Amino acid sequence: MFRARRLVLAHFWVAIVAFAAAMVLGAWQMYARSPLAAGTGDPELYYRSVTAHGTVMAYVFPLLVAMGFGYAISELSLKQPLVGRRWAWAGFWLAIVGTVMASVPIALGRASVLYTFYPPLIGSPFYYLGIVLVVVGSWVWVVLMAINLRAWKRDHPGETVPLAMFGNVAAAFLWAWTSIGAAVEILVLILPVALGFKDTIDAGLSRVLFSWTLHAIVYFWLMPAYIAFYTIVPRAVGGRLYSDTMGRVAFVLFLVFSMPIGIHHLFADPQIGSGFKFMHAVFTAMVTVPTFLTVFTIVASLEIAARLRGGKGLFGWVRTLPWDNPMMLAVTFSFVMLGLGGAGGLINMSYQLNETIHNTQWVTGHFHLIFAGAIVIMYFMLAYELWPQLTLRAPLSTGLVKTQLWLWFVGMLILTGPWHWVGILGMPRRMASFDYTDPTLHAMAWPVVVSTLGGVVLLLSALLFVFILASARRTGDAPAPFTFSIAVHMPRRVPTALNGFGIWVALMVALTVVNYGFPIAQLVALKGTSVPAIPVGAQ
Amino acid sequence: MNDEPRMYSWKNRWLRGSLLFVGGTTVVSLLVGFVWLPSMQGDFTAQGIWSSICRAAGVPAPWGAGGDATRATTRTTEVVMTRSMARAGGTEAVGLGATIALQCTVCHGVRGLTDSNAPNLAGQYPEVMIKQLTDYQSGDRINSVMQAFARSLTPQAIREVAAYYAYLPRVTNPTSDPGSDVPRLVQVGDAMRNIAPCASCHGGLDHKLGAPWLEAMPKAYLSEQLDAFAKGARHNDSHRQMRNMARQLSAAEVDELATYYARR
Repeated sequence: MFRARRLVLAHFWVAIVAFAAAMVLGAWQMYARSPLAAGTGDPELYYRSVTAHGTVMAYVFPLLVAMGFGYAISELSLKQPLVGRRWAWAGFWLAIVGTVMASVPIALGRASVLYTFYPPLIGSPFYYLGIVLVVVGSWVWVVLMAINLRAWKRDHPGETVPLAMFGNVAAAFLWAWTSIGAAVEILVLILPVALGFKDTIDAGLSRVLFSWTLHAIVYFWLMPAYIAFYTIVPRAVGGRLYSDTMGRVAFVLFLVFSMPIGIHHLFADPQIGSGFKFMHAVFTAMVTVPTFLTVFTIVASLEIAARLRGGKGLFGWVRTLPWDNPMMLAVTFSFVMLGLGGAGGLINMSYQLNETIHNTQWVTGHFHLIFAGAIVIMYFMLAYELWPQLTLRAPLSTGLVKTQLWLWFVGMLILTGPWHWVGILGMPRRMASFDYTDPTLHAMAWPVVVSTLGGVVLLLSALLFVFILASARRTGDAPAPFTFSIAVHMPRRVPTALNGFGIWVALMVALTVVNYGFPIAQLVALKGTSVPAIPVGAQ
Repeated sequence: MNDEPRMYSWKNRWLRGSLLFVGGTTVVSLLVGFVWLPSMQGDFTAQGIWSSICRAAGVPAPWGAGGDATRATTRTTEVVMTRSMARAGGTEAVGLGATIALQCTVCHGVRGLTDSNAPNLAGQYPEVMIKQLTDYQSGDRINSVMQAFARSLTPQAIREVAAYYAYLPRVTNPTSDPGSDVPRLVQVGDAMRNIAPCASCHGGLDHKLGAPWLEAMPKAYLSEQLDAFAKGARHNDSHRQMRNMARQLSAAEVDELATYYARR
């Protein structure tokens, strides 16, 4: 049945290898800027490394996971062969070519502009073109997901779209719309300068366009993890999904509210009016709603599992949860990190509180806790869950898997806790080195050393992850068919609104126009807003 | 199940509810962000409600005493650095440039090297020569002698002079010195004062377009320029990068840096 097996496996392997390489760089960066290194290294090497780490972790790794998982969901949940498998391979190869094309100038030091591009810094055009190819490859996936859903609906008129595929297509549409900001920034503003046709660039407009992508991309990273929460976790821990409808509501709320919020990254930018900054703060608050719904629903689903195992009492059922099950560990770790990171995020999104931590290590701590913590730990589980299907190998060693999850969780807390702390002390992010002998920085020295140790633990966990997957034992038997969670009340029919995306996509576009339309139009219309570009690695 | 109203009709409660909720949230936050919050600030409301809304929307407007909000008060430079400027001309340009450069020899030496306190030009990056000569022409860099010389040069002549000096062999700092005597400011800067390492632009760690070759420059010239940047008397650094660095330097640090780069 599972015909896209090799396709999905290819996506996952490339994602995993890229992830492992970027992990090595990340751990080195921790060391390079800590008091353990003398702090006299070449700063350019540091920025080269940060660019590679960010480009892989923000674009290549999550995109390949979302694409591979998406193709798997399409076949496994719709129970129909993937439509357009050749196109999917074409998208995959586009992403590979793009990754290589972007990596070479980074390695040569010709594109040390960080993954967020930061105009007026301008790197090699091949770096930007590489990223465009990766994104175009992902657009193939977006179109294929829509086509597969349409084909299924044609063959199953009036039936309810499986929740996994519903979330998957929501993720695809979210990505299609959010990737446009960075794509326009690269194609219209950056590439003409990088190719030498222009010498100045509108840095303010570039930043606004990037913010279009920058925050919603986080919710796109999040979607595979949330799909796993709703459609895999309850089954894996032996329970039932508390509410299928709640999952649909959460997915469409992400679609609507992920987009009109990116300017909360630009609270300190002078080119945006304070009114729009406030609007984006309000809608950032709204996007916490689907997360609260999800945490409630999944905890309720876990409670069902615990009560099925004999759990009693108001909280006594917590004891009977299947704590020896890796998925139980993963979802617990994920929620703890999501809670801590989310609490910090409330500070980031508040127009006033943001001032205290803007551009400090606090922010680095925040997004590592959310993405590298809460989300990536679920990516690990996706790989572990799918691996027997993909490789036709025996189930993985739960002992090793649990060790890997523990290492990741503990390492992530050790990494991000001190980052938050030094952020409050005022340590800026994106700095290659610090003079810890300075009395004003001295208090930051020991937390940075501690967080470096966290980085080492995380690297060990990542290597263990690769080892577990690479050393899976081959068996001749076909794996048991993959199943998704069953809800307490499986919906026979859901409201039309929750079986499609029309109104939600319309609301997403409308809110984006309201919240981004004027700032972008004004910056386009204003004369004299461009500044000279600064080529990186010009010699 | 066909008792559910059509999706796109006002009777559908999902459509009605979501439109009302999203629309209501938008309107309320618009009112708060553009009317109520600005009304708490005197400088927002000084010219009436419409002006206050425009300011909250980020429309450029004179604040406080007024004046053109989009005009910078100090001129920096009109030269836009491009990578093409960094490509020196061929042998013909070098030859033509050598002829034009005869008038420079009094101060800058026959082969671009001199013991006077005028800067050494031998081996200087061509884009640096182009930028500085153009800035002298436009008055963005002030020096009575150089402005007079630069005035008569065409853009092509400037490129040829630049090609000539780029062609001359450069004098470098003695490399036999152990690296330990490189000042910290050159190698790592001082992050707490927002001073980037000199070597991250002027060569050593990295070279940025438009940053000059400094090695073996006269010490007096280097410290004079750092002082001029610090006081704002020289202001042709496009992004204020040199003024911001130099303003933070103590006299001892200026001396240390000038001494370091002047070694030959």
